[in-house]
Amino acid sequence: MDVTRTVGLDRNDAIAAAKSIYSLVLLLLLWEFVAQYDMVHSYFLPPLSDVLATFYELTADGTMLEHAYLTFRRAMAGLLLACLLGIVVGVLAARNRIVGWFWDPIIEVGYPVPVIALVPVFMFWFGTGDLPKIMLVAVGCFWPVAINARNATREVDENLVWSARMMGTSDRRLLRRVVVPAAAPGIISGVQIALPIALIVTFVFEMVAGGGGLGHLEIQGVRSFESAQVYASLIAIMIVGFTLDRGLRYLRGRLLAWT
Amino acid sequence: MNRTQAHRQHPPNAKSTHETMVDGHVTITELEKVYESGDERTTAIEDFSVTVPSGEFLGVVGPSGCGKSTLLYLVAGFLEQTTGTIAVDGDPIDGPGTDRGVVFQDYALFPWRTVMGNVTYGLEEKGVGKEERRATAQRFIDMMDLDGFEDKYPKELSGGMKQRVALARTLAYDPKILLMDEPFGALDQPLRESLQDHLIDIWRDLEKTVIFITHDVEEAVYLSERVLIMTRHPGTKKTTVGIDLDRTQPREELVLSDEYTATKNDVWQSLREETTPGGER
Ligand SMILES: Nc1ncnc2c1ncn2[C@@H]1O[C@H](COP(=O)(O)OP(=O)(O)OP(=O)(O)O)[C@@H](O)[C@H]1O
Ligand SMILES: [Mg+2]
Repeated sequence: MDVTRTVGLDRNDAIAAAKSIYSLVLLLLLWEFVAQYDMVHSYFLPPLSDVLATFYELTADGTMLEHAYLTFRRAMAGLLLACLLGIVVGVLAARNRIVGWFWDPIIEVGYPVPVIALVPVFMFWFGTGDLPKIMLVAVGCFWPVAINARNATREVDENLVWSARMMGTSDRRLLRRVVVPAAAPGIISGVQIALPIALIVTFVFEMVAGGGGLGHLEIQGVRSFESAQVYASLIAIMIVGFTLDRGLRYLRGRLLAWT
Repeated sequence: MNRTQAHRQHPPNAKSTHETMVDGHVTITELEKVYESGDERTTAIEDFSVTVPSGEFLGVVGPSGCGKSTLLYLVAGFLEQTTGTIAVDGDPIDGPGTDRGVVFQDYALFPWRTVMGNVTYGLEEKGVGKEERRATAQRFIDMMDLDGFEDKYPKELSGGMKQRVALARTLAYDPKILLMDEPFGALDQPLRESLQDHLIDIWRDLEKTVIFITHDVEEAVYLSERVLIMTRHPGTKKTTVGIDLDRTQPREELVLSDEYTATKNDVWQSLREETTPGGER
Protein backbone atom coordinates (compact mmCIF):
# COMPACT_ATOMS: atom_id res chain seq x y z
CA MET A 1 0.00 0.00 0.00
CA ASP A 2 2.77 2.32 0.91
CA VAL A 3 4.45 1.57 -2.39
CA THR A 4 1.44 2.60 -4.49
CA ARG A 5 1.15 5.76 -2.49
CA THR A 6 4.77 6.63 -3.06
CA VAL A 7 4.51 5.88 -6.78
CA GLY A 8 1.34 7.96 -7.02
CA LEU A 9 3.01 10.82 -5.26
CA ASP A 10 6.04 10.64 -7.51
CA ARG A 11 3.88 10.86 -10.58
CA ASN A 12 2.01 13.83 -9.22
CA ASP A 13 5.31 15.44 -8.37
CA ALA A 14 6.59 14.87 -11.89
CA ILE A 15 3.46 16.38 -13.39
CA ALA A 16 3.68 19.32 -11.03
CA ALA A 17 7.34 19.83 -11.93
CA ALA A 18 6.55 19.71 -15.65
CA LYS A 19 3.74 22.22 -15.16
CA SER A 20 6.02 24.55 -13.26
CA ILE A 21 8.42 24.82 -16.22
CA TYR A 22 5.81 25.25 -18.96
CA SER A 23 6.76 28.87 -19.38
CA LEU A 24 10.42 27.95 -19.72
CA VAL A 25 9.69 25.36 -22.43
CA LEU A 26 7.55 27.92 -24.22
CA LEU A 27 10.37 30.45 -24.26
CA LEU A 28 12.86 27.88 -25.56
CA LEU A 29 10.45 26.89 -28.33
CA LEU A 30 10.04 30.54 -29.21
CA TRP A 31 13.84 30.86 -29.40
CA GLU A 32 14.08 27.90 -31.79
CA PHE A 33 11.22 29.23 -33.89
CA VAL A 34 12.56 32.80 -34.16
CA ALA A 35 16.03 31.53 -35.08
CA GLN A 36 14.87 28.86 -37.55
CA TYR A 37 12.82 31.39 -39.48
CA ASP A 38 15.73 33.84 -39.54
CA MET A 39 13.79 36.55 -37.75
CA VAL A 40 17.07 37.34 -36.01
CA HIS A 41 20.41 36.86 -37.71
CA SER A 42 21.83 33.48 -36.72
CA TYR A 43 25.09 35.07 -35.71
CA PHE A 44 23.29 36.90 -32.91
CA LEU A 45 20.92 34.11 -32.07
CA PRO A 46 21.74 30.67 -33.43
CA PRO A 47 18.90 28.14 -33.22
CA LEU A 48 18.60 26.38 -29.89
CA SER A 49 19.26 23.07 -31.64
CA ASP A 50 22.65 24.32 -32.87
CA VAL A 51 23.51 25.56 -29.40
CA LEU A 52 22.57 22.21 -27.89
CA ALA A 53 24.64 20.40 -30.50
CA THR A 54 27.67 22.56 -29.65
CA PHE A 55 26.97 22.03 -25.97
CA TYR A 56 26.97 18.29 -26.57
CA GLU A 57 30.23 18.37 -28.56
CA LEU A 58 32.00 20.44 -25.94
CA THR A 59 30.71 18.16 -23.21
CA ALA A 60 31.62 14.97 -25.07
CA ASP A 61 35.25 16.01 -25.56
CA GLY A 62 35.56 17.09 -21.93
CA THR A 63 36.11 20.79 -22.62
CA MET A 64 32.91 21.89 -20.93
CA LEU A 65 33.51 19.89 -17.76
CA GLU A 66 37.03 21.16 -17.47
CA HIS A 67 35.92 24.80 -17.68
CA ALA A 68 32.89 24.25 -15.49
CA TYR A 69 35.09 22.68 -12.86
CA LEU A 70 37.44 25.70 -12.88
CA THR A 71 34.55 28.10 -12.43
CA PHE A 72 32.96 25.92 -9.76
CA ARG A 73 36.21 25.57 -7.84
CA ARG A 74 36.95 29.31 -7.81
CA ALA A 75 33.42 30.29 -6.86
CA MET A 76 33.23 27.72 -4.07
CA ALA A 77 36.66 28.46 -2.64
CA GLY A 78 35.86 32.18 -2.49
CA LEU A 79 32.41 31.62 -1.06
CA LEU A 80 33.76 29.27 1.61
CA LEU A 81 36.39 31.78 2.62
CA ALA A 82 33.74 34.52 2.77
CA CYS A 83 31.52 32.31 4.94
CA LEU A 84 34.27 31.56 7.44
CA LEU A 85 35.24 35.22 7.82
CA GLY A 86 31.78 36.73 7.34
CA ILE A 87 30.04 34.56 9.92
CA VAL A 88 32.71 35.16 12.54
CA VAL A 89 32.80 38.92 11.92
CA GLY A 90 29.00 39.25 11.69
CA VAL A 91 28.25 37.29 14.86
CA LEU A 92 30.97 38.98 16.87
CA ALA A 93 30.04 42.45 15.61
CA ALA A 94 26.56 41.89 17.05
CA ARG A 95 27.71 40.42 20.37
CA ASN A 96 30.89 42.34 21.14
CA ARG A 97 30.98 46.10 21.50
CA ILE A 98 34.55 46.55 20.31
CA VAL A 99 34.21 44.28 17.28
CA GLY A 100 30.95 46.05 16.46
CA TRP A 101 32.54 49.46 16.82
CA PHE A 102 35.28 48.46 14.38
CA TRP A 103 33.29 46.50 11.80
CA ASP A 104 29.83 48.13 11.68
CA PRO A 105 30.91 51.18 9.63
CA ILE A 106 33.10 49.02 7.38
CA ILE A 107 30.20 46.67 6.67
CA GLU A 108 27.83 49.57 5.97
CA VAL A 109 30.25 51.10 3.47
CA GLY A 110 31.48 47.86 1.94
CA TYR A 111 28.11 46.23 1.37
CA PRO A 112 26.89 48.45 -1.51
CA VAL A 113 30.26 48.65 -3.34
CA PRO A 114 29.92 46.99 -6.78
CA VAL A 115 32.71 44.50 -6.32
CA ILE A 116 33.13 43.99 -10.08
CA ALA A 117 34.74 47.44 -10.15
CA LEU A 118 37.66 45.87 -8.30
CA VAL A 119 38.48 43.34 -11.04
CA PRO A 120 41.08 45.59 -12.69
CA VAL A 121 42.54 46.52 -9.31
CA PHE A 122 42.94 42.87 -8.33
CA MET A 123 44.53 42.09 -11.69
CA PHE A 124 46.87 44.99 -11.17
CA TRP A 125 47.89 43.70 -7.74
CA PHE A 126 47.70 39.93 -8.00
CA GLY A 127 47.75 39.08 -11.72
CA THR A 128 45.30 36.85 -13.55
CA GLY A 129 45.66 33.44 -11.86
CA ASP A 130 43.34 31.62 -9.46
CA LEU A 131 44.36 33.65 -6.42
CA PRO A 132 42.95 37.06 -7.41
CA LYS A 133 39.73 35.43 -8.61
CA ILE A 134 39.17 33.51 -5.40
CA MET A 135 40.07 36.55 -3.34
CA LEU A 136 37.67 38.84 -5.16
CA VAL A 137 34.88 36.28 -4.84
CA ALA A 138 35.60 36.19 -1.12
CA VAL A 139 35.48 39.99 -0.92
CA GLY A 140 32.19 40.14 -2.83
CA CYS A 141 30.53 37.41 -0.77
CA PHE A 142 31.84 38.63 2.57
CA TRP A 143 29.41 41.57 2.81
CA PRO A 144 26.09 39.81 2.45
CA VAL A 145 27.28 36.96 4.67
CA ALA A 146 28.58 39.31 7.36
CA ILE A 147 25.63 41.70 7.30
CA ASN A 148 23.08 38.88 7.48
CA ALA A 149 24.98 37.11 10.24
CA ARG A 150 25.17 40.35 12.19
CA ASN A 151 21.50 41.20 11.81
CA ALA A 152 20.37 37.67 12.61
CA THR A 153 22.55 37.66 15.71
CA ARG A 154 21.19 41.02 16.84
CA GLU A 155 17.67 39.67 16.57
CA VAL A 156 18.27 36.60 18.72
CA ASP A 157 15.63 36.65 21.45
CA GLU A 158 17.26 37.84 24.67
CA ASN A 159 15.08 35.39 26.61
CA LEU A 160 16.89 32.50 24.92
CA VAL A 161 20.23 33.87 26.03
CA TRP A 162 18.89 34.34 29.55
CA SER A 163 17.44 30.84 29.56
CA ALA A 164 20.81 29.39 28.73
CA ARG A 165 22.62 31.52 31.29
CA MET A 166 20.26 30.50 34.09
CA MET A 167 20.87 26.85 33.19
CA GLY A 168 24.59 27.35 33.62
CA THR A 169 25.94 28.18 30.16
CA SER A 170 29.09 30.27 30.52
CA ASP A 171 29.54 33.45 28.50
CA ARG A 172 32.24 31.76 26.49
CA ARG A 173 30.04 28.84 25.44
CA LEU A 174 26.98 31.01 24.85
CA LEU A 175 27.86 31.74 21.22
CA ARG A 176 28.19 28.12 20.22
CA ARG A 177 25.36 26.77 22.35
CA VAL A 178 22.67 29.37 21.74
CA VAL A 179 23.52 32.44 19.68
CA VAL A 180 24.74 30.72 16.51
CA PRO A 181 22.01 28.05 16.44
CA ALA A 182 19.35 30.71 17.06
CA ALA A 183 20.78 32.94 14.30
CA ALA A 184 21.35 30.06 11.87
CA PRO A 185 18.34 30.75 9.61
CA GLY A 186 19.51 34.31 8.98
CA ILE A 187 23.13 33.26 8.60
CA ILE A 188 22.23 30.67 5.98
CA SER A 189 20.07 33.23 4.13
CA GLY A 190 23.20 35.36 3.84
CA VAL A 191 25.09 32.46 2.27
CA GLN A 192 22.23 31.93 -0.18
CA ILE A 193 22.35 35.59 -1.18
CA ALA A 194 26.14 35.36 -1.62
CA LEU A 195 26.00 32.35 -3.96
CA PRO A 196 24.98 34.21 -7.16
CA ILE A 197 27.50 36.93 -6.29
CA ALA A 198 30.23 34.27 -6.18
CA LEU A 199 29.22 33.07 -9.65
CA ILE A 200 28.97 36.58 -11.12
CA VAL A 201 32.37 37.63 -9.83
CA THR A 202 34.05 34.42 -11.02
CA PHE A 203 32.41 34.62 -14.42
CA VAL A 204 33.26 38.27 -15.03
CA PHE A 205 36.82 37.86 -13.80
CA GLU A 206 37.28 34.89 -16.18
CA MET A 207 35.92 36.94 -19.08
CA VAL A 208 38.31 39.77 -18.38
CA ALA A 209 41.41 37.91 -17.25
CA GLY A 210 41.09 34.51 -18.92
CA GLY A 211 42.78 31.50 -17.38
CA GLY A 212 40.01 29.06 -18.30
CA GLY A 213 36.54 28.71 -16.83
CA LEU A 214 33.10 29.22 -18.32
CA GLY A 215 33.51 33.00 -18.50
CA HIS A 216 36.66 32.52 -20.53
CA LEU A 217 34.96 29.97 -22.77
CA GLU A 218 32.13 32.38 -23.50
CA ILE A 219 34.32 35.37 -24.33
CA GLN A 220 36.42 33.07 -26.53
CA GLY A 221 33.25 32.26 -28.44
CA VAL A 222 32.65 35.96 -29.03
CA ARG A 223 36.22 36.57 -30.16
CA SER A 224 36.17 33.65 -32.60
CA PHE A 225 32.66 34.49 -33.87
CA GLU A 226 31.36 31.13 -32.55
CA SER A 227 28.05 32.34 -31.24
CA ALA A 228 26.84 28.80 -30.49
CA GLN A 229 29.74 28.46 -28.05
CA VAL A 230 28.71 31.72 -26.37
CA TYR A 231 25.24 30.38 -25.69
CA ALA A 232 26.50 26.93 -24.76
CA SER A 233 28.72 28.50 -22.06
CA LEU A 234 25.72 30.47 -20.88
CA ILE A 235 23.69 27.30 -20.53
CA ALA A 236 26.55 25.69 -18.63
CA ILE A 237 26.82 28.52 -16.10
CA MET A 238 23.05 28.41 -15.65
CA ILE A 239 23.23 24.71 -14.89
CA VAL A 240 26.07 25.26 -12.43
CA GLY A 241 24.18 28.07 -10.72
CA PHE A 242 20.92 26.15 -10.56
CA THR A 243 22.59 23.05 -9.14
CA LEU A 244 24.45 24.99 -6.47
CA ASP A 245 21.33 26.90 -5.47
CA ARG A 246 19.38 23.66 -5.13
CA GLY A 247 22.24 22.16 -3.17
CA LEU A 248 22.20 25.06 -0.72
CA ARG A 249 18.45 24.82 -0.35
CA TYR A 250 18.74 21.13 0.40
CA LEU A 251 21.43 21.83 2.97
CA ARG A 252 19.24 24.50 4.53
CA GLY A 253 16.37 22.08 4.80
CA ARG A 254 18.59 19.51 6.48
CA LEU A 255 20.20 21.95 8.90
CA LEU A 256 17.03 23.85 9.73
CA ALA A 257 14.49 21.06 10.00
CA TRP A 258 13.25 22.78 13.15
CA THR A 259 12.09 25.99 11.44
CA MET B 1 -6.91 16.75 38.79
CA ASN B 2 -7.11 13.37 40.49
CA ARG B 3 -3.49 13.55 41.40
CA THR B 4 -4.01 16.92 43.02
CA GLN B 5 -6.96 15.73 45.02
CA ALA B 6 -5.02 12.74 46.23
CA HIS B 7 -2.32 15.02 47.52
CA ARG B 8 -4.77 17.31 49.12
CA GLN B 9 -6.04 14.51 51.31
CA HIS B 10 -2.60 14.17 52.91
CA PRO B 11 -1.23 17.66 52.79
CA PRO B 12 2.26 18.11 54.14
CA ASN B 13 2.01 20.89 56.63
CA ALA B 14 3.47 23.74 54.69
CA LYS B 15 4.72 25.68 57.70
CA SER B 16 6.72 22.82 59.14
CA THR B 17 8.23 22.08 55.73
CA HIS B 18 9.68 25.57 55.70
CA GLU B 19 11.42 25.09 59.00
CA THR B 20 13.01 21.77 58.10
CA MET B 21 14.39 23.15 54.86
CA VAL B 22 17.61 25.04 55.05
CA ASP B 23 18.05 26.48 51.60
CA GLY B 24 16.20 28.39 48.95
CA HIS B 25 15.24 31.51 50.84
CA VAL B 26 15.37 34.89 49.19
CA THR B 27 16.01 38.16 50.98
CA ILE B 28 15.41 41.40 49.14
CA THR B 29 16.55 44.56 50.88
CA GLU B 30 15.83 48.15 49.86
CA LEU B 31 15.83 47.27 46.21
CA GLU B 32 15.75 50.01 43.62
CA LYS B 33 15.88 49.70 39.86
CA VAL B 34 16.17 52.69 37.55
CA TYR B 35 16.16 52.10 33.82
CA GLU B 36 18.34 54.52 31.93
CA SER B 37 18.04 54.96 28.19
CA GLY B 38 19.75 58.05 26.86
CA ASP B 39 19.00 60.77 29.36
CA GLU B 40 15.63 59.31 30.27
CA ARG B 41 15.38 57.65 33.67
CA THR B 42 12.51 55.39 34.64
CA THR B 43 12.27 54.20 38.21
CA ALA B 44 10.67 50.77 37.92
CA ILE B 45 11.18 49.50 41.49
CA GLU B 46 11.88 51.51 44.61
CA ASP B 47 12.18 50.89 48.32
CA PHE B 48 11.31 47.23 47.99
CA SER B 49 12.07 44.74 50.74
CA VAL B 50 10.70 41.27 51.34
CA THR B 51 11.89 37.95 52.69
CA VAL B 52 10.71 34.75 51.06
CA PRO B 53 11.36 31.77 53.35
CA SER B 54 12.50 28.42 51.95
CA GLY B 55 9.69 26.47 50.41
CA GLU B 56 7.20 29.33 50.38
CA PHE B 57 4.84 29.87 47.48
CA LEU B 58 4.66 33.64 47.12
CA GLY B 59 2.22 35.16 44.66
CA VAL B 60 2.91 38.68 43.39
CA VAL B 61 0.15 40.82 41.96
CA GLY B 62 0.19 44.44 40.89
CA PRO B 63 -1.13 46.76 38.23
CA SER B 64 0.27 46.55 34.73
CA GLY B 65 3.60 48.30 34.36
CA CYS B 66 4.27 48.41 38.11
CA GLY B 67 7.53 46.51 37.79
CA LYS B 68 6.64 42.86 38.40
CA SER B 69 8.71 41.52 35.53
CA THR B 70 11.53 43.84 36.48
CA LEU B 71 11.45 42.46 40.02
CA LEU B 72 11.57 38.88 38.79
CA TYR B 73 14.41 39.50 36.35
CA LEU B 74 16.38 41.23 39.08
CA VAL B 75 15.99 38.19 41.32
CA ALA B 76 16.93 35.97 38.37
CA GLY B 77 20.10 38.00 37.91
CA PHE B 78 19.28 39.01 34.35
CA LEU B 79 19.12 42.68 35.29
CA GLU B 80 21.32 44.57 37.69
CA GLN B 81 19.74 46.60 40.47
CA THR B 82 20.56 50.27 40.95
CA THR B 83 20.79 49.96 44.72
CA GLY B 84 19.86 47.40 47.36
CA THR B 85 20.65 43.73 47.67
CA ILE B 86 19.15 40.43 46.68
CA ALA B 87 20.45 37.44 48.58
CA VAL B 88 19.78 33.75 48.20
CA ASP B 89 20.46 31.83 51.40
CA GLY B 90 22.29 34.86 52.70
CA ASP B 91 24.67 35.27 49.75
CA PRO B 92 24.14 38.28 47.49
CA ILE B 93 23.49 37.07 43.95
CA ASP B 94 25.92 37.77 41.15
CA GLY B 95 24.16 37.28 37.82
CA PRO B 96 22.06 34.27 36.85
CA GLY B 97 22.68 30.99 38.63
CA THR B 98 21.40 27.44 38.55
CA ASP B 99 19.90 27.89 42.02
CA ARG B 100 17.16 29.94 40.37
CA GLY B 101 15.01 28.84 37.46
CA VAL B 102 12.80 31.17 35.46
CA VAL B 103 9.67 30.14 33.60
CA PHE B 104 9.04 32.80 30.98
CA GLN B 105 5.64 33.97 29.87
CA ASP B 106 6.57 33.35 26.23
CA TYR B 107 8.22 29.98 27.04
CA ALA B 108 11.66 30.88 25.57
CA LEU B 109 12.21 27.30 24.41
CA PHE B 110 15.18 26.59 22.15
CA PRO B 111 13.45 26.13 18.79
CA TRP B 112 16.34 24.10 17.32
CA ARG B 113 16.09 21.50 20.06
CA THR B 114 13.43 18.84 20.44
CA VAL B 115 11.33 18.54 23.58
CA MET B 116 13.89 16.06 24.92
CA GLY B 117 16.75 18.33 23.87
CA ASN B 118 15.21 21.29 25.65
CA VAL B 119 14.59 19.38 28.86
CA THR B 120 18.10 17.87 28.93
CA TYR B 121 19.84 21.20 28.24
CA GLY B 122 20.37 22.20 31.86
CA LEU B 123 21.60 18.71 32.70
CA GLU B 124 24.11 18.84 29.83
CA GLU B 125 25.45 22.10 31.21
CA LYS B 126 25.78 20.45 34.61
CA GLY B 127 27.86 17.67 33.06
CA VAL B 128 25.36 14.89 33.82
CA GLY B 129 26.00 11.73 31.75
CA LYS B 130 23.84 10.91 28.78
CA GLU B 131 21.92 7.99 30.26
CA GLU B 132 21.10 9.80 33.47
CA ARG B 133 20.21 12.95 31.56
CA ARG B 134 17.65 11.16 29.48
CA ALA B 135 16.20 9.31 32.45
CA THR B 136 15.79 12.48 34.48
CA ALA B 137 14.35 14.40 31.54
CA GLN B 138 11.93 11.57 30.82
CA ARG B 139 10.65 11.74 34.40
CA PHE B 140 9.72 15.42 33.98
CA ILE B 141 8.37 14.90 30.48
CA ASP B 142 6.08 12.20 31.85
CA MET B 143 5.14 14.37 34.81
CA MET B 144 3.97 17.04 32.36
CA ASP B 145 2.00 14.49 30.32
CA LEU B 146 4.28 15.04 27.36
CA ASP B 147 5.30 11.45 26.76
CA GLY B 148 5.19 10.66 23.06
CA PHE B 149 6.30 14.18 22.15
CA GLU B 150 9.99 13.79 23.07
CA ASP B 151 11.19 14.14 19.48
CA LYS B 152 8.95 17.03 18.45
CA TYR B 153 10.27 20.51 17.90
CA PRO B 154 8.66 23.46 19.74
CA LYS B 155 7.00 24.70 16.53
CA GLU B 156 5.03 21.45 16.45
CA LEU B 157 3.50 22.04 19.90
CA SER B 158 0.51 24.01 21.13
CA GLY B 159 0.94 26.92 23.54
CA GLY B 160 -0.04 24.83 26.54
CA MET B 161 2.38 22.08 25.58
CA LYS B 162 5.18 24.58 25.12
CA GLN B 163 4.53 25.97 28.57
CA ARG B 164 4.68 22.45 30.01
CA VAL B 165 7.98 21.83 28.22
CA ALA B 166 9.28 25.11 29.63
CA LEU B 167 8.25 23.99 33.11
CA ALA B 168 9.85 20.57 32.61
CA ARG B 169 13.03 22.17 31.30
CA THR B 170 13.34 24.39 34.34
CA LEU B 171 12.46 21.65 36.82
CA ALA B 172 14.86 19.14 35.27
CA TYR B 173 18.02 20.93 36.36
CA ASP B 174 16.56 21.24 39.83
CA PRO B 175 16.80 24.90 40.86
CA LYS B 176 15.80 25.53 44.44
CA ILE B 177 13.84 28.61 43.51
CA LEU B 178 11.25 28.87 40.76
CA LEU B 179 10.62 32.34 39.34
CA MET B 180 7.53 32.46 37.21
CA ASP B 181 6.40 35.48 35.17
CA GLU B 182 2.71 35.11 34.34
CA PRO B 183 3.45 31.65 32.98
CA PHE B 184 -0.17 30.70 32.37
CA GLY B 185 -1.36 34.12 31.18
CA ALA B 186 -1.77 33.13 27.55
CA LEU B 187 -3.61 29.86 28.17
CA ASP B 188 -7.30 29.10 28.20
CA GLN B 189 -9.13 28.46 31.47
CA PRO B 190 -9.20 24.62 31.60
CA LEU B 191 -5.55 24.35 30.63
CA ARG B 192 -4.57 27.06 33.08
CA GLU B 193 -6.39 25.29 35.91
CA SER B 194 -4.83 21.97 35.10
CA LEU B 195 -1.35 23.50 35.02
CA GLN B 196 -2.02 25.33 38.27
CA ASP B 197 -2.85 22.02 39.94
CA HIS B 198 0.23 20.46 38.38
CA LEU B 199 2.31 23.26 39.80
CA ILE B 200 0.91 22.81 43.31
CA ASP B 201 1.82 19.11 43.16
CA ILE B 202 5.32 19.89 41.99
CA TRP B 203 5.83 22.57 44.58
CA ARG B 204 4.82 20.15 47.33
CA ASP B 205 6.68 17.12 46.02
CA LEU B 206 9.90 18.86 45.08
CA GLU B 207 9.89 21.41 47.92
CA LYS B 208 10.66 24.47 45.83
CA THR B 209 10.50 28.10 46.79
CA VAL B 210 8.21 29.75 44.26
CA ILE B 211 7.79 33.40 43.33
CA PHE B 212 4.81 33.51 41.02
CA ILE B 213 3.84 36.67 39.19
CA THR B 214 0.33 37.05 37.89
CA HIS B 215 -2.20 39.75 37.24
CA ASP B 216 -4.99 37.31 38.06
CA VAL B 217 -6.12 37.66 41.68
CA GLU B 218 -7.92 34.32 41.71
CA GLU B 219 -4.82 32.56 40.46
CA ALA B 220 -2.67 34.24 43.09
CA VAL B 221 -5.03 33.34 45.93
CA TYR B 222 -5.61 29.79 44.70
CA LEU B 223 -1.91 28.97 44.38
CA SER B 224 -0.11 30.99 47.00
CA GLU B 225 0.57 30.75 50.70
CA ARG B 226 1.07 34.48 50.73
CA VAL B 227 0.25 37.16 48.18
CA LEU B 228 2.36 40.29 47.78
CA ILE B 229 0.53 43.28 46.37
CA MET B 230 2.58 45.92 44.62
CA THR B 231 1.72 49.59 44.30
CA ARG B 232 1.37 51.09 40.88
CA HIS B 233 4.39 52.49 39.09
CA PRO B 234 7.03 52.92 40.48
CA GLY B 235 6.52 49.60 42.18
CA THR B 236 7.01 49.08 45.87
CA LYS B 237 5.59 46.48 48.21
CA LYS B 238 2.18 47.63 49.31
CA THR B 239 1.31 44.77 51.62
CA THR B 240 1.33 41.02 51.87
CA VAL B 241 -1.73 38.92 52.59
CA GLY B 242 -1.37 35.47 54.13
CA ILE B 243 -3.63 32.88 52.52
CA ASP B 244 -4.99 30.43 54.99
CA LEU B 245 -7.22 27.98 53.22
CA ASP B 246 -8.26 24.44 54.00
CA ARG B 247 -6.47 22.81 51.10
CA THR B 248 -7.75 19.31 51.83
CA GLN B 249 -10.86 20.08 49.81
CA PRO B 250 -10.95 19.65 46.03
CA ARG B 251 -10.73 22.73 43.85
CA GLU B 252 -14.44 22.99 43.10
CA GLU B 253 -15.26 23.15 46.82
CA LEU B 254 -12.31 25.32 47.73
CA VAL B 255 -13.24 28.07 45.28
CA LEU B 256 -16.76 28.20 46.75
CA SER B 257 -15.62 28.36 50.37
CA ASP B 258 -16.16 31.52 52.41
CA GLU B 259 -12.46 31.86 53.32
CA TYR B 260 -11.48 31.75 49.68
CA THR B 261 -14.04 34.34 48.68
CA ALA B 262 -13.12 36.61 51.58
CA THR B 263 -9.37 36.42 50.94
CA LYS B 264 -9.85 36.95 47.25
CA ASN B 265 -11.91 40.03 48.04
CA ASP B 266 -9.22 41.43 50.33
CA VAL B 267 -6.56 41.09 47.69
CA TRP B 268 -8.84 42.40 45.00
CA GLN B 269 -9.78 45.48 47.08
CA SER B 270 -6.16 46.20 47.80
CA LEU B 271 -5.17 45.84 44.16
CA ARG B 272 -8.11 47.91 43.02
CA GLU B 273 -6.95 50.87 45.04
CA GLU B 274 -3.82 50.80 42.90
CA THR B 275 -5.52 50.46 39.56
CA THR B 276 -8.26 53.06 40.04
CA PRO B 277 -7.04 56.49 39.00
CA GLY B 278 -7.03 58.78 42.02
CA GLY B 279 -7.33 55.79 44.36
CA GLU B 280 -5.63 55.96 47.77
CA ARG B 281 -2.00 54.99 48.01
N1 LIG C 1 14.15 48.02 29.25
C1 LIG C 1 13.46 49.02 29.80
N2 LIG C 1 13.86 50.30 29.64
C2 LIG C 1 13.18 51.33 30.19
N3 LIG C 1 12.07 51.17 30.93
C3 LIG C 1 11.61 49.93 31.13
C4 LIG C 1 12.26 48.79 30.57
N4 LIG C 1 11.58 47.68 30.93
C5 LIG C 1 10.54 48.11 31.68
N5 LIG C 1 10.55 49.46 31.80
C6 LIG C 1 9.59 50.27 32.56
O1 LIG C 1 9.58 49.82 33.89
C7 LIG C 1 8.27 49.74 34.39
C8 LIG C 1 7.96 48.34 34.88
O2 LIG C 1 7.96 47.45 33.80
P1 LIG C 1 7.67 45.90 33.99
O3 LIG C 1 7.77 45.25 32.67
O4 LIG C 1 8.53 45.37 35.07
O5 LIG C 1 6.15 45.93 34.48
P2 LIG C 1 5.15 44.72 34.78
O6 LIG C 1 4.62 44.93 36.13
O7 LIG C 1 5.80 43.43 34.51
O8 LIG C 1 3.99 44.99 33.74
P3 LIG C 1 2.99 43.94 33.06
O9 LIG C 1 2.03 43.51 34.11
O10 LIG C 1 2.30 44.76 32.01
O11 LIG C 1 3.81 42.83 32.51
C9 LIG C 1 7.35 50.21 33.28
O12 LIG C 1 7.04 51.56 33.52
C10 LIG C 1 8.18 50.11 32.04
O13 LIG C 1 7.85 51.12 31.13
MG1 LIG D 1 5.50 41.86 33.03
